Amino acid sequence: MGNIRVGIDVGGTFTDFTVLDDETGGMRHFKVSSTPRDPSEAIGIGIASFHERGLNASDVIHFGHGTTVATNMVIERRGGKTGLLTTEGFRDVLEIGRQTRPDLFDMNVRKPDALVSRPLRLEVSERLGPDGEVIVPLDEAGVEEAARRFKEEGVEAIAIGFLHSYRNAAHEQRAAELIRKHLPDVFISLSSDVLPEFREYERISTTVMNAYLMPRMDGYLDRFMTRSRESGVNSKPYTIHSNGGLMSTETARNFPVRTCLSGPAAGVVGAALVGKAAGYPNIITYDVGGTSTDVALIADGKPAYSANRDVAGYSIRCPMVDVSVIGAGGGSIAWLDDAGGLKVGPQSAAAVPGPAAYGKGGTDATITDANIVLQRLNPIALLDGAMPVDREAARKAISAVAEKIGRSVEDTAWGVIRIAVANMARAIRAVSMDKGHDLKHFALMAFGGAGPLHASLVAAETGLNTVIIPESPGTMCARGVLLSDVTRDFVSTQIKRAQGESWTAITAAVAGLERQALDWLEAETIPDEKRALQHIVEARYAGQNHEIRVEAILSTAGDFANRFAEAHRVVYGYALDNHPVEIVNLRVQAIGHAGRPLQTVENVTGTMSDAKVGQREIYVGPEGGWQTVPVYKRSLMPQAEQFSGPAIIEELTSTAYVLPDQTGVVDIYGNIILNFVKDRA
Amino acid sequence: MQQHVKPPREFDAIEMEVFSNRFMSITDEMGLSLVRSSFSTNIKERKDCSVGLFDGRGRLVVQASHIPVHLGSLQGGVAAVLENYKLEDIKPGDAFICNDPYLAGGSHTPDISILTPVFYEGRLCFFAANLGHHSDVGGGVPGSCDPSQTSIFAEGLRIPVLKIAREGVLDEQIIKLISTNSRDPLERILDLKVQIATNEIGQRKLVTLADKFGIVTVEKAIDDLIAYSESRLRKRIKEMPDGVYQGEAFIDGDGVGFDPCRIQVAIRVEGEEITFDFTGTDGQARGAVNIPKTALDATCYYTIKALLDPSLPPNEGMALPVTIIAEEGTLVRPKFPAAVGIRSTSCQRVVRAIFQAFADVLPKEKVFASSADMNATMIFFGPHKTREGSFVYLETVGGGAGASLNHDGMNGIQVHITNTSNLPAEALEIEYPLMVRRYALADGSGGEGHTTGGMGIVREVVAMTDGVRANASCEGLRTPADGVFGGGQGEVARLRFGSADGTVTDYDISITNILMNRGDSLFLQTPGGGGFGHAS
Repeated sequence: MGNIRVGIDVGGTFTDFTVLDDETGGMRHFKVSSTPRDPSEAIGIGIASFHERGLNASDVIHFGHGTTVATNMVIERRGGKTGLLTTEGFRDVLEIGRQTRPDLFDMNVRKPDALVSRPLRLEVSERLGPDGEVIVPLDEAGVEEAARRFKEEGVEAIAIGFLHSYRNAAHEQRAAELIRKHLPDVFISLSSDVLPEFREYERISTTVMNAYLMPRMDGYLDRFMTRSRESGVNSKPYTIHSNGGLMSTETARNFPVRTCLSGPAAGVVGAALVGKAAGYPNIITYDVGGTSTDVALIADGKPAYSANRDVAGYSIRCPMVDVSVIGAGGGSIAWLDDAGGLKVGPQSAAAVPGPAAYGKGGTDATITDANIVLQRLNPIALLDGAMPVDREAARKAISAVAEKIGRSVEDTAWGVIRIAVANMARAIRAVSMDKGHDLKHFALMAFGGAGPLHASLVAAETGLNTVIIPESPGTMCARGVLLSDVTRDFVSTQIKRAQGESWTAITAAVAGLERQALDWLEAETIPDEKRALQHIVEARYAGQNHEIRVEAILSTAGDFANRFAEAHRVVYGYALDNHPVEIVNLRVQAIGHAGRPLQTVENVTGTMSDAKVGQREIYVGPEGGWQTVPVYKRSLMPQAEQFSGPAIIEELTSTAYVLPDQTGVVDIYGNIILNFVKDRA
Repeated sequence: MQQHVKPPREFDAIEMEVFSNRFMSITDEMGLSLVRSSFSTNIKERKDCSVGLFDGRGRLVVQASHIPVHLGSLQGGVAAVLENYKLEDIKPGDAFICNDPYLAGGSHTPDISILTPVFYEGRLCFFAANLGHHSDVGGGVPGSCDPSQTSIFAEGLRIPVLKIAREGVLDEQIIKLISTNSRDPLERILDLKVQIATNEIGQRKLVTLADKFGIVTVEKAIDDLIAYSESRLRKRIKEMPDGVYQGEAFIDGDGVGFDPCRIQVAIRVEGEEITFDFTGTDGQARGAVNIPKTALDATCYYTIKALLDPSLPPNEGMALPVTIIAEEGTLVRPKFPAAVGIRSTSCQRVVRAIFQAFADVLPKEKVFASSADMNATMIFFGPHKTREGSFVYLETVGGGAGASLNHDGMNGIQVHITNTSNLPAEALEIEYPLMVRRYALADGSGGEGHTTGGMGIVREVVAMTDGVRANASCEGLRTPADGVFGGGQGEVARLRFGSADGTVTDYDISITNILMNRGDSLFLQTPGGGGFGHAS
């Protein structure tokens, strides 16, 4: 009997499977078409195909998936009918938010309607102060009255969010108890459970989205569990959360809002582990799809996290891998505005009608068409010959743009690519700056269908010296699921000076979080030797209103002050002497090690000359013009043999372009590592 | 009529777009750094700040504004540096500071600009610039701005263009002078240093850009960008029929008295050029509602973007087809030493007048009813709860947006020239001895119509200790937001002081420096937006 691990990424078009054999270390990938109506169906179909692939579902010892179920539910507004119970005077906080409009200049850009309509936002008399002290006791009769209203309205889920409940959850808990008496089957979500942090709008908005997702997510997880059981998988199924760790189905049921960034987070976690193994702990991930590009930063092997983000225009706050999305991908359309400016995206030809060259009805010039005209993409066929390409159609689309700006077709195609690259480079710089890092210490890891094609150009623009193209770049997210640990974050807001008598209270709060974390690991049945805790303190100088993260186990106040100063210097470039430091949030992450270290891959016999399957003329730019460059087949490329650009590397779902001033080598993990001959930083 | 059509300069469509991203990348970084490393709530949480890049001649290349009314102040500051200093007296490592509306292109005293010359190969090639709204720069009232002030000298410290750093050495004495004149000195010191560091980031990135692509290429790209914005705006203007379009709006009073002040605008569209002529606007106000030149410019540029082309890149090219005419001694071009602290209130009404004028010329789907275009502010001042000294806490409160053809106006939102965030009730209660009793939408405050105006906001704040002082001002206490094409007016604003003993006093003018003891409350309801079309 074997031991196999299965990672699944449920995407919009395909559901990717990565299967790792623990004994042989062999890894394989396959795809089935996604089933958007019930995404668990595709998972069932994939597992059902195990047998014909020589796999046995009962051998599965680790089973995890990344899913966009929650995100799609928000985008398509398919969540449950939700009510909100909040402190008297504050029911509209959910709608007012931070009272800012989404676009400074365009009044036609509107905020989306609140997930809970105004009549379903009910208030109850109660009030806590900032230290959690009761100023107005909970009006229990008022809560029961609200419960009756919710019942009449037929809500499926209720969010409860009271002011300062992060300091004292008693009122929220009591209100939930009273509501349950009237509505035993309704899903209830408390802000003190979902996000016990201060700032009421973000906490309530996150809690409301959680409640909104609960009813349908519950149904989805039921079907997911049933399908995996029926397919013969005995292993406990996990879901990847936005912070890049795995969580049990039970946790996912209670906190579906934590899965909003499930898929992309898995890709970043996978990239971090691949990079670390290959000797590159500092990475910018660059995942280019058809309509958009995801960018994230990994420093010292750890993905950068963000606490806030908008999902379909709704603010949510929970620890998550910080993934920035740019509206530029292979299908992005190049167009000319009426003042003669050339723009690329955000409109995309997407899968339908697709780039002009794909012959599915598209006529607009896309980034893909530009690459086909310049022959960086195979001008005859893609997908190992399975998908014919119409170069003339691409040329026609690009020349329509070229005529308007009075430039040659080559110049225009080259310009389209440069504009897309400049746009992506801007996002990459913003991601690194936001975290206070210097790009020259980073490598760019390119994945997704169109990442490897543009990565070297983006690296040159941003001053990154190294480009890494991992093995099978199209399935990074599914691989990430295999490499992830089981994790959960626990948080406590403790706004206190990091000194004197408050230090005792701070360490006591940390001990409380550690207890919660260990209890949870126990409940998740993680064996002792696989458990770990990570401590994070969010703090600021007194008077600031914006926290930074310090990864530190608290020892003494003085030691913490030093670590804080160091972190502040990294993020902002300076620190202040003798200025008091204020702790804001304490976090403990419980970790159950479930992942497996990255496996080396078997080398191929043969040399780079054997891997050279052809050559073609490509346009390298205005100086070099058209040059004949070798075309390598990735699966035939041997490890450790250096090669030079310009070159094209083709594999089933992706093409890489190596610049004239780059050299490359394949490492023992199957990654292609490209370096500029001259330092570009 | 003779059409004066300047042939647009040729530009490289590809280089222009590529460099546009590169310049915006630099302002992105400056903006992120400014917001993240600043100390005051005003800059950090409310993002009341802007950053920009200029060329060596003082032409705006790119500006990242969180607040449209800042569109002009950075330009005014850079222009003042070039007017006040000889080229040979501007040295690498220098940084300039200013805020004065009369001497240094400022728009009111709390907005302090830092302007840093950037040299390349020994030549002044660029300026990196930013401004932040400092919560207090001294003067007669906490927050330095109050409608009833009658002189710029009552609005705190006036800073002409000065060098705050000379060849890399920071002038701590000027910082000390400024901080000493503020009710919250520590915030001033820390934020000013962050502003200076922000420009240094811009400076480094500009030098790297020139190193990498060559200064000639970079400077050509700047010319291209400016030519592009100019030609794009000329196209938008040309689409409108030639003619003169009138608009007018009123503010409740001149800050001191109760007589409404009239803002009059005639918009002349001639071919590819547009003129905003404010002739006919009332004389300058006694109070602080006057609009300095740069604030008026910014307001006009805002309306151009909002109504004609929201994504027009804001650079020098945006100003070239535009003429702004204002008579000296009027509300929109005050004479020294008129007070200007509350200029944004009048700027909002300038927007109302311009929107109204454009309603006659734009297609119906681009027309909006009037919004709660006021700047409602509540300022609290008192002893700190958690540290020595005193606090100043400023809040601006959104209102209802005007309705449009297909949509009700947005509820409880900032409109037009401002877009500041609120401070969360929990954050303010942790920090200050205050409690928010209510933060909600004002039911039924939007004007009726085919589509309804947005609702205003109710915000009620209670003092939790004795000895708190407060100001509250809100335009629209007497002049409502009008509907358009038969839509109804929004509700006017309401302002109320509630004593701990239960007595309530309503105000129809601003409240200044009122004493609040424990349990006293201040209630503000902002106006609703106007409706669009007749209600069916």
